[in-house]
Amino acid sequence: MENTREIYWNVGHGAATLVPMYLLSLAAVAILVYMFLQRVKIYKQGQTLNRTDQLPLRITAMIKNVLLQSKVLSVRGPGVAHALFFWGFFILFLGTCLIVLQADFTDLFFGVKFLKGSFYLFFSLILDIAGLISILMLIGLLVRRYVVRPAGLENKKDDIIMHGLLLAILITGFLIEGARMAVTEMGTTLSAWSPVGLWVAKALSSMGEPAVRGLHSNLWWLHLLMVIAFIAIIPFTKLRHIFTTSANYLFTDLGPKGLVPTIDMEDEEAESFGAAQVTDMTWKDIFDADACTTCKRCQDRCPAWATDKPLSPMKVVQQIGEIACSNPASSLLETIDKDAIWACTTCRACQEICPADIEHVNKIIDIRRNLVLMEGEFPGEEVMTAMENTEVNGNPFGLAFASRGDWAEGLPIVTLGKNSDVDILYFVGCYASFDKRNQAIAKAFVQLCDAAGVKVGILGKEEKCCGEPMRKMGNEYLYQMQANENIEQFKSYRIKQIVTTCPHCFNTLNKDYRDLGLDVKISHYTEYLAELLEQGKFKLTPQPFDCTYHDSCYLGRYNDIYQAPRTLLAAAGANLTEMEKHGTESFCCSAGGGRILADENIGSRISEKRAQMAAETGAPTLISNCPFCLTMFEDGIKGAGLDEQLQPKDLAEILVERLA
Amino acid sequence: MKILVCIKQVPDMESKFKVNAAGNWYEETDLAWRMNEYDEYAVEQAVQLKQQVGEADLTVLCIGSDRVKETMKKALAMGCDRGAHIADDASYLKDPYAIASLIAGYAKDKDFDLIFTGMQSQDRGSGQVGVLVAEMLGVPSLTTLVEFSYADGTINAKRELEGGIKAKVSCATPALVTCQLGLNTPRYPTLPNIMKAKKKELISIPVADLNPQESLLEVLQVAPPEKKGGGLILEGDPADLADQLIQILKEKTTALA
Repeated sequence: MENTREIYWNVGHGAATLVPMYLLSLAAVAILVYMFLQRVKIYKQGQTLNRTDQLPLRITAMIKNVLLQSKVLSVRGPGVAHALFFWGFFILFLGTCLIVLQADFTDLFFGVKFLKGSFYLFFSLILDIAGLISILMLIGLLVRRYVVRPAGLENKKDDIIMHGLLLAILITGFLIEGARMAVTEMGTTLSAWSPVGLWVAKALSSMGEPAVRGLHSNLWWLHLLMVIAFIAIIPFTKLRHIFTTSANYLFTDLGPKGLVPTIDMEDEEAESFGAAQVTDMTWKDIFDADACTTCKRCQDRCPAWATDKPLSPMKVVQQIGEIACSNPASSLLETIDKDAIWACTTCRACQEICPADIEHVNKIIDIRRNLVLMEGEFPGEEVMTAMENTEVNGNPFGLAFASRGDWAEGLPIVTLGKNSDVDILYFVGCYASFDKRNQAIAKAFVQLCDAAGVKVGILGKEEKCCGEPMRKMGNEYLYQMQANENIEQFKSYRIKQIVTTCPHCFNTLNKDYRDLGLDVKISHYTEYLAELLEQGKFKLTPQPFDCTYHDSCYLGRYNDIYQAPRTLLAAAGANLTEMEKHGTESFCCSAGGGRILADENIGSRISEKRAQMAAETGAPTLISNCPFCLTMFEDGIKGAGLDEQLQPKDLAEILVERLA
Repeated sequence: MKILVCIKQVPDMESKFKVNAAGNWYEETDLAWRMNEYDEYAVEQAVQLKQQVGEADLTVLCIGSDRVKETMKKALAMGCDRGAHIADDASYLKDPYAIASLIAGYAKDKDFDLIFTGMQSQDRGSGQVGVLVAEMLGVPSLTTLVEFSYADGTINAKRELEGGIKAKVSCATPALVTCQLGLNTPRYPTLPNIMKAKKKELISIPVADLNPQESLLEVLQVAPPEKKGGGLILEGDPADLADQLIQILKEKTTALA
């Protein structure tokens, strides 16, 4: 037998088949396009945003993410199932395209056939395997959704429709193949190349040929109608994610990671700031809701959600979409819980894991901006006080600005106002300057630099808060005020390099300040010291000790700095036991998003939860390198009653104890 | 309705104070400046009254060098309509009587229905300026208010007395009130208001134009408090500590008299 098959066997290749088939397909595609155009009107309610720059880069990213399913695969179980299902279905789709291409074009008009010979053998085998894997994966996903029922996974009407319809399409596909093979391929070597089809054919062998032919043609038309239905319902169901999630890869934020849009304070025309209504947000913020498949990976990782606060990043995204559709003139906070908005620590766990490239964090900051800048509202009086303190004294504690550099007395360090011959500016930050526990880290860092022969300068009383907690709380005005003052100081002293011991200062100076004109090399001390160590500028005598290490959000997820601290720990002699949630999965200490300024009044303490995770490793020391984390762990460990078995320390303290 | 609120720019109380070269006030270097806390309650109450009445014009007055204009901008951002800056680089040398004469000099021909001031300043703490201004203008004054309401030309208020007692008082406008902690929570200025404040009228009046009276008081010397004995650390069993503490409270304080 020739290695080929008669396409349109049994149903006929004439107008009676082709006309309804193409008309229905046209209708389905028309519905698809029309509904998407209607949907575009909803996206356009949002503000403009340019997400089509650097198009080649974007298209490459989209193709990679869609075809390789890289973000989907970041969570193993359901990620692997979805990826395999997707590849299977995609292969079947390509196969169908090739069949249409030959049957209705190359063969019909030019007599050219390519579905033959060895190509056809592998074509048949690959499609059969793809179909089988798709069915198995789909059943697995169905079982997960309806039998296992993972906590927080909501089932809607369109879920069962999607699962059911796709399964029916796949299964009828095999039945059709089996019916055809039962009549045309039994006993041939060809049939072995379609193993699933062959199995179905054998099962149908008891039916006579007329019955099989009848079954075949009925199922063929049923299969066609279901595929038409599938295309037509795409815009009405979660199936839209085939297009919207793929598009979201195209429209992705090209970075830098975690950059918050800088409001132009000089704009006299601006009447409103931040997002009060959905029309204040960008079209992308509305589009994100359509790209979201409510997979709940973000919710699963949100530290606020995990401690009974009302914030679910997934819910916020979905609510914005709902508001855009049903009531765009309404105030966002009529639907979205204000406590949810204040609860965010901007830890970025949601965005890091999201397989759809959705941007959760900046939507929340945008809503906060409206509350702060337009209403003068904060989550609590203590936050307003911290803001006012920062206005008056340049630090949220409200301590005298003139004493900001006092911690450095007697140390091998100069104040730039007196002597500007330095190698680096050490941007100390509010906590290391004023908080007793964190001053120890500043002192340790200075000693390490001194050992490495680095001349360190500080601004002392001329340094102001970097403004980050204020910015993340929504107070863009106060942030820019502080930032501009700092930048002016950096410029007046012609600073070339800045090192910080705080990841928030680091992230803000390195990214946010660039929007305001800063153009200097900025490092976090872990990378800086790791480099100096490698260059042999200072030496450590390792003293073995057991510990676990906390990847702070603003060093890890925001800046992908995971290795440098671990290199330093190893050099110090650490026997490191990683927590389950480490690296990109690290669990926030709770102080980000400006929440270091606020009281935690809802649910349980995030810092205590993290302290528990550290204690579970059995290590007696919890190492971090962020003043916020250290502060939260000092409290969290005591609050969780773990202070007998666990002690928090900063990496700098460990290193300075081991200076050779 | 015409309202006046008088504010003072003072150093933030966390600052490290040093006596000045003349020995009669604090040195002004390395200080962070802000609105006197009690004046914040005054501004807030004045703005709330303006919002209640609707047809009202609210002026904020402040005496001092050009530096005080920053603080006046905050009052404007909170809701005052215009600012009157009395330009006086040596205002710190004036006693409450002289200061009050400046304010009265400004206000006497302007028919303010209500004047708000803070109960006292955080740096000098005399607590006299408000009452002196009222007397100079011949209007009643209600001081140390922790509650305030206004209707049809009458003020109904509560004054804070010792031991948590409050006194109910009322009077007709025109009048002057001084504001105490607990009267209200001053609003955080919104960004549109901060931006509008930059454009609001802020006129500087040279101090000589207002014919200030001579001070009746002269500051002879300003000095930091004498260092007495250090703190006492008690250690030991909590039950023993409690006994020790009660003993000390009985002997060294009047807390358990």
